[in-house]
Amino acid sequence: MYGMPMTIFLFVCLFVTGVSCNSVGDKIYVDFKDNIPCVRLLNATHQIGCQSSLSGDVGVLHLLESEENLDWVLSSGPDPPYMVMLESTLFTRSVMMKLKSSSNRVAGVVVVAPNTNPSAGFSPHASCPNENSGVYTEKYSPSLAHCNATVWNPLGNNLSYEEFDFPIFSLKDDNDTQAMRQCYMDHNRPVNGSKPRYPLCAMQLFSHMSAVTDTATCMRRNSIAMSLNPEFVCDPLGDVNIWALSKPLNVTEKGHKPGESVIIAAARLDSRSFFFDIAPGAESTASGLVTLLAVAHALRNATQEAQLNTTIMYTFFHGETFDYIGSSRMVFDMERNQSIIDLDNVHSVLEVGQVGLHGDTKLWLHSDPVSRRNSSIDEEVVKLIKNLNSSAKSLNFSVEEPGSSQALPPSSFQRFLRARPIPGVVIENHQSTFTNRYYQSMYDNSDYLNVSYPPGLTPEEQLDFVTDAAKSLAKVATLVARALFVQAGGNGTSVVTLSVLSQVSRLLYSFLVMPNNSWFHDTRFTFHFITVIVFFSPGNTTTNFYIGFMLANLTGSVVNTTQENCNNQKENEDDKETKHLYYYVWAQGAAPPNGTEREGFCVRSTCRTTKAVSPAFELEEYTSSNYSTWTESRWKSIKGRIFLVASHDLEMLTLGVGVGVLLTSLLLTFFISSKADILFNSGREPTNATY
Amino acid sequence: MNLERLPNEEKLGLCRKYYLCGFACLPFLWLVNVVWFFREAFRKPAYTEQTQMKTYVKRSALGLLFWFTVLTTWITIFQHFRAQWGAVGDYLSFTIPLGTP
Repeated sequence: MYGMPMTIFLFVCLFVTGVSCNSVGDKIYVDFKDNIPCVRLLNATHQIGCQSSLSGDVGVLHLLESEENLDWVLSSGPDPPYMVMLESTLFTRSVMMKLKSSSNRVAGVVVVAPNTNPSAGFSPHASCPNENSGVYTEKYSPSLAHCNATVWNPLGNNLSYEEFDFPIFSLKDDNDTQAMRQCYMDHNRPVNGSKPRYPLCAMQLFSHMSAVTDTATCMRRNSIAMSLNPEFVCDPLGDVNIWALSKPLNVTEKGHKPGESVIIAAARLDSRSFFFDIAPGAESTASGLVTLLAVAHALRNATQEAQLNTTIMYTFFHGETFDYIGSSRMVFDMERNQSIIDLDNVHSVLEVGQVGLHGDTKLWLHSDPVSRRNSSIDEEVVKLIKNLNSSAKSLNFSVEEPGSSQALPPSSFQRFLRARPIPGVVIENHQSTFTNRYYQSMYDNSDYLNVSYPPGLTPEEQLDFVTDAAKSLAKVATLVARALFVQAGGNGTSVVTLSVLSQVSRLLYSFLVMPNNSWFHDTRFTFHFITVIVFFSPGNTTTNFYIGFMLANLTGSVVNTTQENCNNQKENEDDKETKHLYYYVWAQGAAPPNGTEREGFCVRSTCRTTKAVSPAFELEEYTSSNYSTWTESRWKSIKGRIFLVASHDLEMLTLGVGVGVLLTSLLLTFFISSKADILFNSGREPTNATY
Repeated sequence: MNLERLPNEEKLGLCRKYYLCGFACLPFLWLVNVVWFFREAFRKPAYTEQTQMKTYVKRSALGLLFWFTVLTTWITIFQHFRAQWGAVGDYLSFTIPLGTP
């Protein structure tokens, strides 16, 4: 009778409180907004990168003020393990190695990424990049092997290739990071050498990596058929190479193409840094990439009109950072007759390396001294250099060869040389060691390349603004285009003005500043993409669809056909032949000024993509020393959070009190139940006694 | 099941069943045999079937001890050396822990 209104009242109360509920978790933990971890990579012999424990690593936050302050973390601090927060100036090899050596007191490291690049230069990559996978082995040339003669990246401190058993995250320098510093100042800072009192500010980082030991182990564990659902622990690094031809060749017939002579104009597509998914690669990659894209566009009309005998293949290799994945795969395919041409068809190679110029106007033409000992190869190389020289003269530029006995810098061309001697030149902006002070680091960004826009421009205006970097790269592109045209048999004087400037500036803006701009929207499918030059991620094909579409648009031509025909790779209903030669893609186009519907169009080009996974995974030789064996571990969750933590003694006391209460209540219950008849039946005895 | 209410022949029958079935690589049955029939076989006043029950319980205990040592030794060795055995260790494992060798 009274139950009904009570239950209604209860429901109403629950409803009110349920709707405005407070999560206890939110009151304790503050989660990181972006998580930029360092992840684990494995190859045939080693594992590199960072690992956390399965349930996250917790440590008391410590803001490192100087390298001497490390002593607090390593030995004198009373509350290990510590979570060390480093400003970028302290993110050096010596600090990290010291932290690594006493990793029982270090729970993890957090690096604050600055807003401006450090002036001293920083490169976590190796000092001799791709040392064992290039052409300079002991057999090929003992004096040039292992960078004996020239150390290409002297600033390289090899941090990216070290193994850490604690997590390392990167934080942007924003308000949240300032709040963390404040938390440290309020709770953790030792005052006058005294021990900081609990509660202390602590941080927990989760970045548990599933793969371990080396590639062979993790590939084996991927494929073990024992358990009910086999768990993948790692993925081979791999993506696609993108290439386009100046003259269409039959793609379906693979192998040698008799009578065809092809010049490979190469550039690389990828970059990396110490942290996952951060790879701006402005000077190391974007400069060469943008230049070659502009060259491809500039020569589009000229090569079609001139009907040259030699074909130019503009190739963009992926994965070159990790032991030349893309170029080794392409050479492997060519050797097996699985590629559109084979090595006999290759006439020469012209590679565009790091060509970002910081104010100077000189480029260096590197070639391989060992293969040039052969006179026919030497002749071709001399011709190529002459072409580059003559096209440079007309542009107020100068190109020069570095010393004749200097090795080739790390470049995709080295993998071609490994297969057989081919004439080729690599264009770089450095004579011997790199001038890039941030090679393969997170600081190799648009600021370093001087891609900067005056303040107050809208994104549309920025897209069209021509920066100084764009101007200098446009010059390089024109230089390369003219030389390439002459090399392919064209007449040098007919290639007069190549207006690459607008393309170059737009490409630079899109790759380095804001990828999601209107120009890209007009020329591609609606793909949701992240960064263009990515830390090499397995299966990250959205980026390359992007560059593929870009290349198609720049080298192809618009054809008048329906969207359905276009997607089915034909020009009209009966067309069955052109799909062997051309590739059709539907671009979404721009909306006309007086409408809102985008007018799409079909682009026909010779641009294709081919798989760029290391041959070691095709051949299943996971301990191979000939090919790249890099894999990236998988993980379950990556996050970080910050909270206040109580002292261990208080935790134990609370636990002890709880256990004590439990035992006491158990004892009490046992006691009461065993004496229950005395305690509870004492009232009833008199009633029984009356009978 | 309350053994008090069973006649002695049925108790012996049960003990025998557990003893025999334990030979099918089921040492747990032997453990049950030992624990359940211990009081019956050794603590109760003697009756005819008890001698036979005693042998069954003793043999079950022996078998149990044997299995216990074998399994403990194997488990210790496996847990200690699995990581070092590389491929063999992986093929012997049903679940391989993530992130540790």
